[in-house]
Amino acid sequence: MKKMLNAFKKYFADFGTAVAKGDIWCKLSLLVMGAGYWGRKQIVKGIIMTVLEVVVLLFTGLFSINYIKDLGTLGTVQYEAKFDPLTMKNTVNDYDNSLLILLYGIVGIIVIVAFILLYISNMKAVYRLQLMKENGEHINSFREDLKELINGKFYVTLLTLPSIGVILMNIVPILFMSCVAFTNYDIDHMPPNYLFTWTGLSNFKNMFTGGATITFSYAFIRILAWTMIWAVTATFTTFIGGILLAKLINHQNTYFKKVWRALFVVTIAIPQFVTLLLVSKMFSDHGIVNTWCSNLGLTSFLRDAGVISGNFIPFLSKPGWSHVMIILINIWVGVPYQMLTATGILMNIPTDQLESARIDGANKWQIFWKITMPYILFICGPSLIQSVIANINNFNVIYLLTSGTATANMAFANSNAKETDLLITWLFTLTNDNSNYKMASVIGIISFVICALLTLLSYSRMIKGDKEEVYQ
Amino acid sequence: MTAKRKANIIIRHIVLAFLAFIWLVPVVWLIVTSLSTVKGVSGKHFFPEHWTLANYNQLFFQTDTAANFPAWFKNTFIVAIFTCIISSVFVLMVSYAFSCMRFKGRKQLMSFSIILGMFPGVLSMIAVYFVLKMLGLTDSLVGLIFVYSAGSGLGFLILKGFFDTIPASLREAARLEGASEATIFTRIIIPLSKPMIVYTVINSFLGPWMDFVMARIMIKSKDSADWTVAIGLYNLLQKTLVGDYFSVFCAGGVMIAIPISILFVVMQKFYVEGVTGGAVKG
Repeated sequence: MKKMLNAFKKYFADFGTAVAKGDIWCKLSLLVMGAGYWGRKQIVKGIIMTVLEVVVLLFTGLFSINYIKDLGTLGTVQYEAKFDPLTMKNTVNDYDNSLLILLYGIVGIIVIVAFILLYISNMKAVYRLQLMKENGEHINSFREDLKELINGKFYVTLLTLPSIGVILMNIVPILFMSCVAFTNYDIDHMPPNYLFTWTGLSNFKNMFTGGATITFSYAFIRILAWTMIWAVTATFTTFIGGILLAKLINHQNTYFKKVWRALFVVTIAIPQFVTLLLVSKMFSDHGIVNTWCSNLGLTSFLRDAGVISGNFIPFLSKPGWSHVMIILINIWVGVPYQMLTATGILMNIPTDQLESARIDGANKWQIFWKITMPYILFICGPSLIQSVIANINNFNVIYLLTSGTATANMAFANSNAKETDLLITWLFTLTNDNSNYKMASVIGIISFVICALLTLLSYSRMIKGDKEEVYQ
Repeated sequence: MTAKRKANIIIRHIVLAFLAFIWLVPVVWLIVTSLSTVKGVSGKHFFPEHWTLANYNQLFFQTDTAANFPAWFKNTFIVAIFTCIISSVFVLMVSYAFSCMRFKGRKQLMSFSIILGMFPGVLSMIAVYFVLKMLGLTDSLVGLIFVYSAGSGLGFLILKGFFDTIPASLREAARLEGASEATIFTRIIIPLSKPMIVYTVINSFLGPWMDFVMARIMIKSKDSADWTVAIGLYNLLQKTLVGDYFSVFCAGGVMIAIPISILFVVMQKFYVEGVTGGAVKG
């Protein structure tokens, strides 16, 4: 922490020195960013810097400033269309679009921050040039600078495009979503016809304490609990199932190992949305599995036992049943994949440990639980946490299996949720079908926090396990 | 062979056969239903009573407003090709920069990328939709390509791990001979990592075929010619359509499962080679 503070201090101190001790060219660079380069005969670089400066200033001054200044209110002038009898057309007033204000505002601010950073480092670079000149060192020509971009500074060339992609695809959306959670952006406040505005923490309050009519907190608690139960169970059932299956196939008493493995791997190769939709039809109320069950007499047995009331088993349409079925189907989906991973790991267990345990008289189960499992857990620890995170956001399994069913519970239905929803599918229904962006963003932020906590858990392990210098 | 061992072998294979049966039931159902004359979901019979190839014929040659498989396949294929090129290049570039170069702030940037990469993109999908809307790219293949490939630089971990195992002395030697970093990258590192690159390429090619949710969010068009395979097949199972199109859906499922299975098998081979190849060099 202190180190960071010092680095921070030094960052600005260097800038101060550059401004204070720079000569006339350096000082000119405060205004025209390219000046410092022109003074050292780096004409092209100077022009590039200056053009960049002008572009950013124009972008901010002419375009994004209009949105940034409205960020505080997210717009005040509502859309109005007046019918003009003379031209027979609607005339629209100069209205504010809250969505664009928020989005362009964020982009504008990112550009400004990036520009300030560039500006500071530009000052330092210019001052460094001045020192180099005073010491009589060689100053690169533009051609040499370009060469540097594929050599010593090759990483700049490599990282620029991917970084822009990540900023657009990851960072801007995350910032935007976090902001929407503090507004009242929903179906009643849809731009461009209506404005939305900041409402502080009221969405969070609704989510946790419940409103008068819409019972978000009721659904939230239950969905959160089911999400966590689901994530942990789904991860461990497939994990253990995969290891057991791998052990079963890789045992010395098993023949045709490759054939068995291939039979299970076939199921991975079919895209998930196909298999899941298919399985959801198999287990539907009048599907093939129900026919089997009634032919076998299972349905009537269960009805006589009072477990079900209709003449079919509601595998995916009744809560409780569907919760169990989802986990079982997920085992079907996930085990072959885990089996492949586990095969790789099992092959690499140091055999001397197994050997010495056997000599010491440990039986097979003892070896499995005391040596094999701890070893696998040690290797897979971080990836297990990763798959818990992946399961928290396992949209496909839940949505594709249950999207056809509706809930009978009004408290859930009022908040557009279902018993089997995860946070992520709830978020999806809220945005895609109900345009309730504010609450969806709150759910998004909560999921983010949960994932972030889990990430930090596995992250420290991953960094420690980083062996990048070992081979090099 | 003792009797005990014999019993063990028999039980083991019975259990395996039972498990394999369970795992294959839906796959077999997919295939046999695609050959059925019954158009809707058959709840009564597992195997169809009459067999036909008409569903495949309908899938490819008799397109209508609900089922337009050739267009979906074409769309997904275009998206997959471009996604594959862009994201493989991105991953290669980021991996090389992080693995083989040393620069100020590298560790911090890498940690930041790892953390950022761990957040599933699905979470911020609403916002991604608005960003694309701002860029005017919703409902277009370009938008989908953007969604699948823009953030792909974050998936550098596996390839970087592989690059880490390539001895630094190779690069040292090349540098002494006067090679620039760009030359080392294209002439030494890339040829050495071919298996891993094949793995990366196939992996990113498969992404758009497997994805459902992002396509669902980005493509709102009502015209079935604009859809991808995932949205199209999902739509065939809507309540109003499932009665007439279920067997066509199954035929479509089989048709995309075949190429994907082949790629998958190829990828597995290269993946194993890539991993062990790296280990041997270390």
